[in-house]
Amino acid sequence: MSKEISLVIAIVVLVALLGIFLITFVAYRKTPLPKGCENLKADDEKCAACSNTQCVFNKKEEEEK
Amino acid sequence: MNIFISFVLAIISSMLIDNVVLSRFYGICPFLGVSRKVNSSLGMGVAVVFVIMLATVICWPLYNFILVPAGIAFMDTVAYILVIASIVQLVGLFIKKYSPSLYKSLGIYLPLITTNCAVLGVAQSNTDQGLSFLNSIANAMGTSIGFLLIIVTFSCIRVRLESSNTPKAFKGLPIALICAALMAIALVGLQGLFSGIKL
Repeated sequence: MSKEISLVIAIVVLVALLGIFLITFVAYRKTPLPKGCENLKADDEKCAACSNTQCVFNKKEEEEK
Repeated sequence: MNIFISFVLAIISSMLIDNVVLSRFYGICPFLGVSRKVNSSLGMGVAVVFVIMLATVICWPLYNFILVPAGIAFMDTVAYILVIASIVQLVGLFIKKYSPSLYKSLGIYLPLITTNCAVLGVAQSNTDQGLSFLNSIANAMGTSIGFLLIIVTFSCIRVRLESSNTPKAFKGLPIALICAALMAIALVGLQGLFSGIKL
């Protein structure tokens, strides 16, 4: 298979997978939150077990402090 | 019959002897983060089982029938991440809609299944080792059930540890990690279990 065709297939596969991801992402976001789950926060002790300081939840915790 | 026996042995082997958490050290984050309550650990374990199984069923044909014939096998990691992320969104959507209590206990940690290296690790090892579809399914089933088994067992231990008289310096994560180490040692004892079996 020539390099050009491989490149086209790679782009098609990537775009298709990105498309599927975006569809599921939007569907997840659009699904209404169950009652009582509107203000869910990261649990301090749960996050203490994780060393990833780049995680959005850890960052939020730091900002609040 | 031999195929069935090797299928079962592969499941048991990847479930206990080569356990994903305690032997390969994948998925440590949810193992420590979501193991304080039995219900939430069970929910996380079942969600991971579903994601790993579905990811294997999709990733294996994607690699063998599209990426390899097209000469773009180097794209496997990117493709797997996108597949896994999509499946996680889908699982999250169903939990959000049909199981509010589970959503409340897993909540914001649910999307983190995407970054659970156990899921990507299984998909990657299936293709790297050149496993057949059946063996990939066995590997995925064993790995994911092993994850479920260990996380639920660990949460049961942690629940009991909370009410036990632990020295102050060991309270919380230190004693939990010691227990995890003991569990790992227990599983090491199973090595060589199937060495005498001839197929």
